[in-house]
Amino acid sequence: MKISLNWLNDYISLKDISLEEILDKLTYAGLEVEEVEDQAKNYENIVVGFVVEAKKHPNADKLSLCKVSDGKEEFNVVCGAPNVATGQKVVFAKVGSIIPNGKSKIEKAKIRGEVSFGMICSERELNISDNQEGIMVLNPSLKEGTSIADALEMNDVILEIAITPNRADALSHIGIARDLSALFNLPLKYPEIKLNESGKKSNELASVEIVDVENCPRYIGKVVTNVTIKESPDWLKKKIKSIGSRPINNVVDITNFILHEVGQPLHAFDLDKLDGKKIIVRSAGNDTKFTTLDSKERNLQSKDLMICDAKRAVAIAGVMGGENSEVTESTKNILIESAFFNPSSIRKTAKNLGLLTDASYRFERGTDPNITLWAAQRAAQLIQETAGGEISFGEIDAYPKTITKRSTKLRFSRLDQVLGYHIESLEVENILLSLGFEITGNSKNELMVNIPSYRHDVEREIDLIEEVARIYGYNKIPEVSKISVTLEEKVDHSAFDDKVRVFLNSLGFYEIITNSLLSEETANCFGKSIKVMNPQSSEMSHLRPSLLPGMLTTISNNLKVNEKDLQLFEIGKVFEQLSEAKINSFSDFKEIEQLLMITTGNFIRTEWFEKDRPFDIYDMKGLVSSFLTNLLPGVTIADKYSDNDFQFFDYAFKIVADEKNLGICGKLKKEISSLFDINQDVFLFQTNLNELKQISIPKKTFKDLLKFPKVYRDCAFVLDSNIRSDQVAEVIKENGSNLLHNVKLFDIFQSESLGSGKKSLAFQLEYYDPARTLTEEEIEKIFSKTVKSVEQKFNAQLRGA
Amino acid sequence: MINKIDKTRKSFDEEISKVDSSASLEELRIKYLSRKGLVSQLFESLKDVSKEDKPKVGQALNQLKIHTQSKFDEMKETFEKSENKSESFVDLSIPGRARPIGSKHILTQTLDEIKNIFKGLGFSVYEGPELESDYNNFEALNFAPDHPARDMQDTFFVTEDFLLRTHTSPVQVRLMTEKKPPLRAIMPGKVFRNEAISAKSYCLFHQVEGLYVDTDVTFAELKGTLVAFAKQFYGQDVQYRFRASFFPFTEPSAEMDVWWQPKGKEGRWLEVLGCGMVDPNVLKNVGIDPEKYVGYAFGMGVERTAMLKYGIGDIRILFDNDKRFLTQF
Repeated sequence: MKISLNWLNDYISLKDISLEEILDKLTYAGLEVEEVEDQAKNYENIVVGFVVEAKKHPNADKLSLCKVSDGKEEFNVVCGAPNVATGQKVVFAKVGSIIPNGKSKIEKAKIRGEVSFGMICSERELNISDNQEGIMVLNPSLKEGTSIADALEMNDVILEIAITPNRADALSHIGIARDLSALFNLPLKYPEIKLNESGKKSNELASVEIVDVENCPRYIGKVVTNVTIKESPDWLKKKIKSIGSRPINNVVDITNFILHEVGQPLHAFDLDKLDGKKIIVRSAGNDTKFTTLDSKERNLQSKDLMICDAKRAVAIAGVMGGENSEVTESTKNILIESAFFNPSSIRKTAKNLGLLTDASYRFERGTDPNITLWAAQRAAQLIQETAGGEISFGEIDAYPKTITKRSTKLRFSRLDQVLGYHIESLEVENILLSLGFEITGNSKNELMVNIPSYRHDVEREIDLIEEVARIYGYNKIPEVSKISVTLEEKVDHSAFDDKVRVFLNSLGFYEIITNSLLSEETANCFGKSIKVMNPQSSEMSHLRPSLLPGMLTTISNNLKVNEKDLQLFEIGKVFEQLSEAKINSFSDFKEIEQLLMITTGNFIRTEWFEKDRPFDIYDMKGLVSSFLTNLLPGVTIADKYSDNDFQFFDYAFKIVADEKNLGICGKLKKEISSLFDINQDVFLFQTNLNELKQISIPKKTFKDLLKFPKVYRDCAFVLDSNIRSDQVAEVIKENGSNLLHNVKLFDIFQSESLGSGKKSLAFQLEYYDPARTLTEEEIEKIFSKTVKSVEQKFNAQLRGA
Repeated sequence: MINKIDKTRKSFDEEISKVDSSASLEELRIKYLSRKGLVSQLFESLKDVSKEDKPKVGQALNQLKIHTQSKFDEMKETFEKSENKSESFVDLSIPGRARPIGSKHILTQTLDEIKNIFKGLGFSVYEGPELESDYNNFEALNFAPDHPARDMQDTFFVTEDFLLRTHTSPVQVRLMTEKKPPLRAIMPGKVFRNEAISAKSYCLFHQVEGLYVDTDVTFAELKGTLVAFAKQFYGQDVQYRFRASFFPFTEPSAEMDVWWQPKGKEGRWLEVLGCGMVDPNVLKNVGIDPEKYVGYAFGMGVERTAMLKYGIGDIRILFDNDKRFLTQF
């Protein structure tokens, strides 16, 4: 919201306070000043100049050569305007100034052989008007050397203030002045109403009927007759412009002025266009279309509150007037509307229409029902001052539902308790009084406080505490230097994930974070996704059912910048709709925390010790195994190989612990990766962290160190190449007796020399007994039995035998 | 026999003086000192020596053996030393066999830093769901339906009653509903805002919520705690200010700004967190007596904090996951 400092001075005298201080106090008090426009800065080095002499330029017919004084010095200035003459007071832009229109910098220049030190400006060059026919000739009483900003009163400072949604009362100059009056302890003065009423009474000229009392508790109408609609006077145009609006005509500008003065939106109807000279406030009902004064046809909803005449709607209440009743050049008689509408009704209507106006913005936040009368009278007075005419006697004040005064109490002890700091009771009272609260009773312990009708945000004791603290100044409340730590059990929900991250980092994986929103097409490829009702774009319309699409997009984007070797993971929530029907409860969908790890590209880029080698499934399998065994120490983890047709994998296996799923590891299908323009193998591991967190980790106990030597035996078998290594290892274990503790596959060999369809698997077997040293004979006996059983089971041959 | 021994000794001495490599030394060893070498052969022939000569010859033989062996050992050692030296030129400039270590996302790292500070101040860490009910996200937090305060947080709705949480504050509601005070916790997580993606805003970001409810919680303690945080996080000499603000779920409400001074540019105040005393209506909504208990709450954006700290100008780069970005942190 734009606030003019000059305008504020109409209600509070800020002359003795520095701009800096004003900005600070407002910001500290919750009226955050976001931007400051110091108009005078636009006119730096532009001053009132006196034309000491103006004569023809010796080398140019249309130019004049002038001597311009700034009161101290005389400057040679070349001027092209026909109206320049000796003795004029003019706008003199000195060397170094920047012309407001066009932002060009004035420099010393040679024009047709004559040096010019500056420029004499037109109105257009100052952005005052479009007039560029000749220079601007100033009032001769202005003193040369005075800055133009001061001379022409273009020295306003415009503040852009961010008003939080609770502070409807601050949405006007008087509203801001009220806080300033409390902050600086200065008096606030409302403009005085002086009405010159004549002729008939307002209620003889028009009538008001409120049908929807709930949504329109108060409607005031005041009639002004015989007005002349014309351009606004300069003071009014200047005010309207200063807050960034465009002047329209005197009556409209006055209503706009009062909105920004006191925050009460007004509307002026052309009384002669109101059928039956009657206002009816009712809901739209069967009306479905309405043309607002911006000539746009709006679609109404039956509950929208409308202002109607005897026959038809003439305005959308609190939002925008209608084309059919607006004030035009030919308007003679007007009805001023000054009403209080139910904020939530206005908000719904404005939202439905997608129409945010200065009026709706204020009504939906809550205006002051008690300022309506003052605003109507002030409008009538100012309209008469600017548009002539007669103000009819009195007002039509339809106020069917009196808004009662609200009050609450403030206990000093509670104030101290919440703030942790004591503010003197006298100071507390002063703050509340200066904000317009009434103290209706005070004791040693508490105050009884009446709440002004413009403070919709204040209701309870805590609201008063905030008001006191806010004006007193948060920065004056000292912060404690020590705290007590409560001894309830401390919990860290994020500890498990943090552990996951650390293990994965140590295995070379980088963490990524991707968007949780996907396009419908992508999302549906990966699961039963949930739709967002109001997405920003179709690219982000569905919640991700899997981390995979985000990961693949990441890989794809990295490939585009030639980053091909990637080891990445993401931890994040994925969402899945469970029921076909709409989501009505938390049981209609699942929110799962997923972990996805991928490897792609080369594991090793050529090094002096090793050649290029792409990642393969065994890299991933090993990384996953290292990860899981460290994350879940002591848990027996097993792989499950089956020929299941995995949706996204060329091949994959499941990892389990006691039938509990720990995840799936495999190679991504080419069809999937090519959807993302990925033309290299992607290996991945995906798991549900919610389930992983449930795996119970056995308590660690110390195992005695082995006191007797281990014995190793190696054996290699030639067997059919479609036999899985774990099947062989299993048979070895089954037949290895309880002295066999470990079977390690240490070589795989495939060659024509072994015969087609054959391979060689070499195992190392580890034997020991924790209680004694083993003898050669017993090992030999067990070993040869084991070898035989493998030979028999798989029709295998021991190599080298 | 003695002559033979002397001759062998002389020839050994002569030959060993000519040895110039460990290979020729090895030849010498085989010739003299191996199992079938000249010295052994001499020992063999000892059995043919007469009884009376045996001690003398035996002694000479032993001396020969000791002499040759020690000369050989000496020579061998010399060679080993010198040859080892030439073999052991270790080029330390060759790159080692590195084992790459990954990293946490910079947002996670920033979050870790924040978590560690608050854990040190006695806070627990709680998490909650991202797909929330309107009740937990708004209503329980004192956002009246149809109130303009709802416009402060543009919301992605899934249905009229379910939405992507716009802040981590619903975790407060869950925590206070489940547990009795005293409660002191931070609640980090992802939140969503229905805003167009630009350099300044993304459709999601991370927030850390803080909550402390007990019988003696004060605004002065809230300030003290947040100042302690700011000093640890931004540096002991951080400049800060608290200014009044508005959040439906706290009252009084404040925002904390820190002074940001980029090198060679104009400094400015930057909002880093919102905070306030838990609104009594919120306590009431979760069944905590607002007369007996007082609470404070705060919330900060992790992205903003990380971007400030690391000089990142465009929020989108955080979610692009370009390896050249990831490997910088």
